[in-house]
Amino acid sequence: MGTIDQAEGQEQDGHLLLTGATGFLGQATLERILASHPRLRVTLLVRGRTGTTAQERVDRLLRQPVFSRWRERVGAEVAAAEVAARVRVLDADLGNRDLTLPDDLTALVHGASTVSFDPPVDEAFRTNVQGVRDLYEAVLRSGGNPHVVHVSTAYVNGVHHGPVPEMSLRHDVDWQSELAAAEAARAFSEADSRRPATLRGLFDEAKKVHGKSGPRSTAVAAEARRQEWVEKQLVEHGRLRAKVAGWHDVYTFTKALGERVAETLLTGRRPLTVVRPAIVESALRHPYPGWIQGFKMAEPLILAYGRGQLTEFPGRPDGILDVIPVDMVVSAVLAAALRPPEPEKPHYLHVSSGDRNPLTFREMYEQLHRFFTDNPMTDGGYGHVTPPTWEFPGATRADRLLRTGEKILDLAQDALLRGPHSERTRRWQDDLTRTREDTDALRRLSDLYGDYVQNEAVYRTDKLLALHHSLTGDEAATGGFDPADIDWGHYLREVHFPAVTGSRRGPDKRRSRSRGPKEVNPTGDNRTVAIFDLEGTIVSSNLIETYLMAKLNELPRGEWAGEMADLLRRMPRYLSAERHDRGEFIRTFMRRWEGFAEADLRKIVADKVGDALLRRAHPQAIRRIRQHRKAGHRTVLITGTLDMLVEPIAPLFDETVTCRLHVRDGICTGFLDRPPLVGEARAAWLVQYAEAAQLDLASSYAYGDSYSDRPLLEAVGNPVAVNPDTRLYRHATRKRWAVADWTAHTMSAVDSMVETVW
Amino acid sequence: MSRPGFVLEVDERTPALLMHQGEGFRLEKLPMGSRVIYPPESLPGLRDVDEEIRKALAAPVGRPPLSELLYAGMRLTIVFDDLSLPLPQMQTPDIRQRVIEHVLEAAAAKGVDDVELIAGNALHRRMTPAELKRTVGDRVYRSFFPHHLKNHDAEDKENLKEIGHTRHGEVVEINRRAAESDLIVYVNITLTPMSGGPKSVSVGLASYRSLKHHHNVQTLRNSKSFNDPPNSAMHHSYNRMAALLAENVNVFQIETTVNNDMFPKQMDFLNKREWEWNLKDQAAFLAVRRANELVPPAKRRQIWHRTAAPYGITGVNAGAPEDVHPITLKNVLRQQLTEVNGPSDIGIWGLPYICPYNVNSIMNPILVMSLSLGYLFNMYQNQPIVRPGGVAIFYHPVPNEFHSVHHPSYIDFFEEVLAETTDPVAIETKFEEQFATDPWYIHLYRNSYAYHGVHPLYMWYWGAHALEHLGDVIFVGGDRKTTERMGFRSASTLQDALEMARERVGSSPTITYQHTPPIAMADVR
Repeated sequence: MGTIDQAEGQEQDGHLLLTGATGFLGQATLERILASHPRLRVTLLVRGRTGTTAQERVDRLLRQPVFSRWRERVGAEVAAAEVAARVRVLDADLGNRDLTLPDDLTALVHGASTVSFDPPVDEAFRTNVQGVRDLYEAVLRSGGNPHVVHVSTAYVNGVHHGPVPEMSLRHDVDWQSELAAAEAARAFSEADSRRPATLRGLFDEAKKVHGKSGPRSTAVAAEARRQEWVEKQLVEHGRLRAKVAGWHDVYTFTKALGERVAETLLTGRRPLTVVRPAIVESALRHPYPGWIQGFKMAEPLILAYGRGQLTEFPGRPDGILDVIPVDMVVSAVLAAALRPPEPEKPHYLHVSSGDRNPLTFREMYEQLHRFFTDNPMTDGGYGHVTPPTWEFPGATRADRLLRTGEKILDLAQDALLRGPHSERTRRWQDDLTRTREDTDALRRLSDLYGDYVQNEAVYRTDKLLALHHSLTGDEAATGGFDPADIDWGHYLREVHFPAVTGSRRGPDKRRSRSRGPKEVNPTGDNRTVAIFDLEGTIVSSNLIETYLMAKLNELPRGEWAGEMADLLRRMPRYLSAERHDRGEFIRTFMRRWEGFAEADLRKIVADKVGDALLRRAHPQAIRRIRQHRKAGHRTVLITGTLDMLVEPIAPLFDETVTCRLHVRDGICTGFLDRPPLVGEARAAWLVQYAEAAQLDLASSYAYGDSYSDRPLLEAVGNPVAVNPDTRLYRHATRKRWAVADWTAHTMSAVDSMVETVW
Repeated sequence: MSRPGFVLEVDERTPALLMHQGEGFRLEKLPMGSRVIYPPESLPGLRDVDEEIRKALAAPVGRPPLSELLYAGMRLTIVFDDLSLPLPQMQTPDIRQRVIEHVLEAAAAKGVDDVELIAGNALHRRMTPAELKRTVGDRVYRSFFPHHLKNHDAEDKENLKEIGHTRHGEVVEINRRAAESDLIVYVNITLTPMSGGPKSVSVGLASYRSLKHHHNVQTLRNSKSFNDPPNSAMHHSYNRMAALLAENVNVFQIETTVNNDMFPKQMDFLNKREWEWNLKDQAAFLAVRRANELVPPAKRRQIWHRTAAPYGITGVNAGAPEDVHPITLKNVLRQQLTEVNGPSDIGIWGLPYICPYNVNSIMNPILVMSLSLGYLFNMYQNQPIVRPGGVAIFYHPVPNEFHSVHHPSYIDFFEEVLAETTDPVAIETKFEEQFATDPWYIHLYRNSYAYHGVHPLYMWYWGAHALEHLGDVIFVGGDRKTTERMGFRSASTLQDALEMARERVGSSPTITYQHTPPIAMADVR
C-alpha cells in the first residue's frame, strides 16, 4: 500500500489549508490538528465580516468550547504559543477569482459549504459550485502540489435505492451552464417581481393587513413582501431544478456539481480525495463525548419529540437514519489528507453508518422514548411533557393529517382576526399561536427530512474501512472511524441526546406567551417620554359613547329614541369608515357635533361627562401614567377625541394632542380644525416632537390598544400593547412586546351611562 | 316599652341565626354554648318630631334659645353631617332637612340674609347634587344650591382658617366661612357613640393638617374603644380642639338620635329576633334571599343602597356642644348597649353591605377592613368582646372590587402599599405624606367625587387597635387573594374558620356573636 508509506513521510512537516474552520466540522478539524498533529501547520481561509476582521473571527473561534480540553491539557500559555507558531489566517472570500494561496501547501481540506438545505439558488451555487471553482483554480495557480480533500455529503448520490459504492458520481449535468443559469436567476426574479400583476397582488395583500396603519406602513410592507417573494422564487427555482435533475434539494444538487468541478479541474493535476459524510452529529469521544456546536440536522427532531410536538413521524420504521459522530468524520478526513492518491485516480470515501451499523427509525424512536421517559422536559410550570408514541402511519397519511391541520388553523386565524376582540379572543389567539408553532415545527421537520427519511440508499464504506485499518500510532489512539464501534443505545441516550437537550437555553416549552410591562424606572436625564393613546388604552369608552353621553344630557328624554335611531341607522357607515381608515371615521363621526353650542358642550363636560370619563378610565393606566411622572418622564396623550372631553385627565400629562372642533360664532360646524392624528401620523408626530425636545425614543414608552397604533409603538424602545385587539396582540406576541391587561375596576358602559345621564 | 338587650346562650332549641354577609345574608347555626349579643329592642320614635325640634330650639341646654342668637345682618352658617350618616340612609324627609327648615324659618323671621349651608364632609368625597338634595330637601336645595349650599373643601387653602394650637400643639384649622361666621349651627345625627359633640365641627370642617393629629396609629391604638369617649385618645384630642374652637367660634349644636328600625316593613325580619319570626317573616326571608341571589350584582348593589331606613327619632337636643352631647350619648346607649360578662376566645360578626364610606358606592377590601376591625370590633365599652390574642371571624365575600371614581387612591393603596406591608406604623411612616399631598388625588378630591388621597390610610389606622389586640382574623366566604393581601385568612365555612381558629385559642374556645343587624354595643364587664 503505497499510500501508507507516503502518509508516514508527510507527517513530518506539513502545511494544511482549511476552509470552513468556523463551522461545526471545521472547528473539530482545527482542534484535532492542534491537539494531535503537532508538526502540522495550518492556514485558515476565513472571510472577514462587517465589523469583524478575519483574525478577530479566528481569535473568537479559539475561545470556543471545542478547544477547552486541549487548552486545559497543555496549559493556556502553551496553547497560545502553539496557535501563534502554527496557525495563520488568510483573509479572503470564496467566490473570488484573485485568490492567492501559499505555495508550500501539502494538503487542503475544503469544508466550507452552505449551512441551509434550501437556500436561494444563486447563493447555493455561489458557495457550493463557484466557490469550489475559484478555490481550485487558485490551487492550480499557486504552483504547490497539495492533496485536496474535498468534503461533500453522502446525499450527493441523489434519489437512489440500494447500495451506493464509493466512486465518482454518474450524471450528465453540465455544471458550467447550471452555474450560469443560477447566476442569472436573481435578475430574472427581480424583473418578474416588478410586473404590474405581481406588484398589485403584493400591494393588495399588504393593504389588507396594514391599511389601517397608513400608506407609509402599507408601502413598506408591500416592498418587504416583494423582496420576500423574490427570495421565495429563488428558493423554489433551486428546489425544482434539483428535483428535475434528480436530487433531493438544491444543497445536494450543488454539492454534487461541486464534486464534478473538483474532478474537472484537478484530475491528473493534483491528488484529490472526496469525503462524503452522512448526517454529522455530536462527538462520540473527541474532544469530549457530546461536544456539539450549533443546531445540526437531527436536533430539531429530537427537541420537537421531547417537547411533545412531534406526535407522529412521516418515515418508515425500517428506514435508516444515517448518523455519524463528528470525531469519526474528522479522523477520516485527516487520515485521508495524509494519504494522497495518484493525481489521475481521485479517491472517494463515504463516512456513514448505514452500511456497517444501521440505525433504523424504529430504533431511534425507541431510544428517544426511553430517554425522554427517563429525562422528561419540563412543561413551563405544568409538570413534565409525556413523550409521544409513534405509530408510523406512513408518509402520505402523515402529510395529509398535517395539511388538514394547517388548513383548519388558517381558517381559525382568519375568523379570529375578523371577529371582535376580548380577553377571550386573546386567549384563543394564544392557543392558536401555540398550535400554529407546533404545526409549523412539524411542517419544517417534515419538509426537511421528507426525502432523507424516505431515502433507501445504503452508502457502502469498504474504502473507509480499509483506511481505518491502515491507521497507525497516534491516529489509531483517537479511536479511528469504524462505524461498527458505535453502540447506538449508549451514543444516543448517554452522549447525543443529553448534549442536544443540555445545550438548549431557556425553558423547555414556552407556555406564557405575553409578558406584562416592565417596572417604570427613573431615567434621570429628562429625555424619556411616555406616550399614551386614550380610547381603549386609558379609558374603555369610545367616541360614540362619549358623544351619546353628552348628547343625551342635552336632549329632553322624549327625543332620546330619535337620536338613538339615527345613530343606529348610520352605524354601518361609521363601521365601514372605521375598518377602512380610522381618520376617515373620526371625520365622519365628528359631523354629528354640528350645531352644538361650544359653551353648552363645555358645561355638560364639566358637570357630567367628565366624571363619566373617569368612571370609564382604567385605574391601572392612571397608575402607570403617574409612575412615569414620578420617574421624571414626560407624559403625552395623543388621541382622536375632542380636547374638552379629555380635560378631566389632562393634569396627568405634560402635553395633550387632541382633535379640535371648528367653531363659528360659538356653534360647532361639524368640521375639524386640523386633521386627526392617527396611525402613522402619530409616529411621525412623535419623531418630530422627540427631535424638537431632544428626547431619547429608545428609552421611551408608548401605549396603544389597536393595530393602527402599531407605527407609534414601533417608534419607541418600550412598546406596550394595552388590552390589544387581536391583530395587535398577534403582532405584539410575535415581537415579544409587553402586553398589559388593564381592565380591572373599570365601570361598564351601561352602568356609567346610567350614573351619568339619569 | 321596648325590651332590653340581652345575651343569648345557644342551646339545642336555638334556631339558625341571621347574619349579614356583604350584599346578602345567611342563617347560621352556631356551636352550642356560643353567646349572642342582642341590643335592646328598637325604641319607640318620637310622635311629633317637628314639635320636638321646636322645643329643642326654644329651650336649648347651655345656650339661649336659637331665636335670641339670630339677628339681621349676621353671618349664619349651617353645617350638617354628610352622606356617611346615618347607615343605611334615612327615608325622606331626612331629619337634617326637618331641622334645617326650622333653623332657616327662625333665621328668616329674624331677617338673616347671609346664610350658607355646608356639608361637613372633611376628607370624604363631595356629595353629588342629587345627594345634597335628598339630604336637605327640595325646598332648601332649590333656594341655596349651588352658590350657598356647598361641600366643604379641605384642600381649598384660601378658604381654610387656622384657629390656633391646642395645649398639645395640635393645629386647629377649619372652613373659613364657618370660622368667620357669627354663628355656626351644626345639624347632626349621632348613630354611634363615636360621632357628634366635639367631633362635629373640629373634624367635619377640618383640613388634613388638623386631622392628622388624631387620625393616626398612635391615637387609634390608645382609643379603647373609640366608641367609648372617656377611654378614647381620639376623643381626648377632639375635646381639646373643641375647647379651643369654643373660645373662638360660636357653635349651636343640634343633635338627633335614631332607633334601630334599619330596614323597611317588608324586611321586618331583619329587625326581629330569629325565634320570634312568624310564618310571614320566614316567607319574607326566603323570598328576599332568593330575589337577592337572582338580581345581577350591579343592580343588587343599587337596590340595597336605595333601600332607606324608616328610623324613628329618639331624641332632638340643642345647645352648647359640650352640654348637649352627654344627653345624646345617653340616648344612643339606651338603644344599643348590652352588658356582657367577660370576653371570649372568638368573636363573630356579620358584615353588612354598607359602611360610612361606600354609600351609593362599592364596599372595597380596605373598607371591609375598616368596617370589621375598625367599626364593629370597637363597638364595646371596657374591653373588647374577644380576649387579647383571640380570633375575630367575619362574614364577607371581600371581593376585589373598587369604585374608580370614588376610591381612586384606595386602588393604589391596595395594589402598591399593601403589597409591601400591612403594618399600620410602617404604612404611616412611609406612605402617609405621599398619599396626602399627591396632586392628582387632590385634583380628584376637589373636582371629581373622590375620597381624599390619604383616606385609605385612615381606614387602615381604624383597625390598628384590633390588629394589635387580635391573634388572627378570618373571613368566612372571603376572596382568598384579597384577604391574603391584607394579611388575613379566609375560610369557606364557619366550621373551617373555627378549625383554623383553634390553632390559636385551643380546642374548646368560647365564642361570642355580636348580632347585626341591628347595631349592638357591648359593655364587656
